[in-house]
Amino acid sequence: MKWTRYLRSWEFALFALLLLELGVLGLVNPVFFNLENLLYSTLDFTHILFAALPLTLVIITAGIDISGVSVMGLASITLGLVWVAGVNVFAALAVALLVGVLAGAFNGFFVSRTDVNPLVITLGTLFMFAGLAQGMPALLDKLGFKAYGSAGLAAYQYEGITGLPDAFIALTEGSLGIVPYPFLAVLFFALVLSLLLHKTRFGRYLYLIGVNPKAAVYSGVPIRRVLVWAYVFSGFGAALAGVMLTSYFTSARADLGGDALLPIITAVVLGGADILGGSGTILGTLLAGMILGFLRQGLLALGVTNDLIQVVVGSLLILAMATKQLLHVYGEYRLKRKALSSRDGR
Amino acid sequence: MKHLVRSREALVTLLLVLLVVVTGLFNPNFFKAASIVEIFNASLTLVLIALGEMFVILTRGIDVSVGATAGLAAVVLGTTLNLGWPVGTAVLAAVLAGTLAGALNAFGVTFLRVPPIIMTLGTLGIYRGLMRIITGGSWIENLPQSIKEPNLWGFLGVPFFVWATLALLALTAFVTLRVRLARYFYAVGDNETGAYLLGLPVRWTQFAAYTLAGTFAAFAAVVFTSQIGFVSMNAADGFELKAIAANVLGGVSLTGGVGTPVGAAIGALFLTAVHSMLIFLGVPGIWDNAFAGIILLVVVYVDYRVRSALELQRRQARIRGDAGGGA
Repeated sequence: MKWTRYLRSWEFALFALLLLELGVLGLVNPVFFNLENLLYSTLDFTHILFAALPLTLVIITAGIDISGVSVMGLASITLGLVWVAGVNVFAALAVALLVGVLAGAFNGFFVSRTDVNPLVITLGTLFMFAGLAQGMPALLDKLGFKAYGSAGLAAYQYEGITGLPDAFIALTEGSLGIVPYPFLAVLFFALVLSLLLHKTRFGRYLYLIGVNPKAAVYSGVPIRRVLVWAYVFSGFGAALAGVMLTSYFTSARADLGGDALLPIITAVVLGGADILGGSGTILGTLLAGMILGFLRQGLLALGVTNDLIQVVVGSLLILAMATKQLLHVYGEYRLKRKALSSRDGR
Repeated sequence: MKHLVRSREALVTLLLVLLVVVTGLFNPNFFKAASIVEIFNASLTLVLIALGEMFVILTRGIDVSVGATAGLAAVVLGTTLNLGWPVGTAVLAAVLAGTLAGALNAFGVTFLRVPPIIMTLGTLGIYRGLMRIITGGSWIENLPQSIKEPNLWGFLGVPFFVWATLALLALTAFVTLRVRLARYFYAVGDNETGAYLLGLPVRWTQFAAYTLAGTFAAFAAVVFTSQIGFVSMNAADGFELKAIAANVLGGVSLTGGVGTPVGAAIGALFLTAVHSMLIFLGVPGIWDNAFAGIILLVVVYVDYRVRSALELQRRQARIRGDAGGGA
């Protein structure tokens, strides 16, 4: 009896959809039946997954974090600048991740201490972090770090910082067997977040805050601390995405990830998280992100332009949501009819 | 006094005046009439988009596709003009395109019941994609002189578009204050169930809000196309977020039912003015975004503190009143 419940879950539907999609793409273009190719192509969208997975936690609390796309650029340029200053590249990586954590804590502080809509707060920090990332090279020049080249660090503002060490580039070029490191890291990240969300008290608190924040306060949930942590994870994930992109594009840039907002939120929402809070799973986000990523790859391989893909992804998001909502409305309607007819019968 | 403290419009206007004075003291050139007019002129696009967005936010919705809608309308305007259509017809086509784009959002939100942020995020991708598909990804240049002409018209040294936008703002302000149908936006945003029980057309009010957002975005498209004289593929990129920021700055609450057109316009003017002022203060333009973000955060935080302090005061007064004789 119990296993049929799994078959009816949203995650199973996503899993079936993913297999169906790969099957169709494979029939059109046999390249997609090559596992090595398939895994290699995940490199183009692992950054979406890195950011979308922890965003699921935030959306479950009925919050949202749109500043992640700016944190990516901020983490990337931080990594580059710290490395240029002569620090080991992996230590620079750690600093970049720390910046992501701090950015998330900043969001979390304002969200948990005020009643201001999280969209407004992360909108403010979206601008702020993007501005910081853009202005940081010039600011460091002003502060007297003139030593690097005649044009100063400001030159990096438009060109990005290149020439990063091979050991750092190998983070995305390397693979364990046929699984690229970034995809492996995403799976590990998903596993950790999944355990955190579904197997710990912290995870249950997230759902409770999303369903009924008042009930959460009155039942003694440390609501502020839990919220701050949710946003910290989101910032950390975005920084991971920024670091991964830096290694993948072999250049640290302030504007990395600027166009990732739509696919990130699409992945979380398609993955089954309710934007109004209270539902969502890490597995769902992972599967939805992969469906979207492979769809993009498949359409590109078929010669569909990037512009049309944007249209397709947007339509897909709306269609999926509309279907879900209308099914929900129909379900309620049926329940009411049933209640009415059983009353009339009496 | 209390009323003034509570009014976000007053807070932001005060901040704006303060910034203007500081900038002026630092660089007296800023006080020249021409610089001020220039700021007004530069803010028109954002003012118009923010005004449209205001209707949506009033109904407790959100529209993140307004920038893309403006871009799409600009592409329709540019394409039809280069096909040889007369200016009037081309402008009409652009406004119609924007309105239709808004109506599609409205349909999704009200009838398909898709949450507003999801619906408009989806159409954001769709409209941006369509822009490039229509033009093949290249800019629309060599627009006829007839579309650039209105930008050169003026009266009393103030450009035609500034007057037109002010007139539209005055009209919107009057309508939202005095016309019953427009009050529905506030009613629906403040208490949707209550509005429904009163017999207000809740769905159609929401429908109208998203459609108006599209129409206003198209107005903005006409203005910036005339001002710049070409249509780039990044036209109005990111304006959806700036429009939301402008509304929040101007006191239009994302929880619905609170805010005025003048507030939204002041918010938009503020965000644009920051850019000009930074230039006059000798700060490079790259710091724009950082300042806009910090100011937004400061304003919403101060506003929160003021609100909670006033709420506390009100409660204490009530307790004292109850103890003193139950009045």
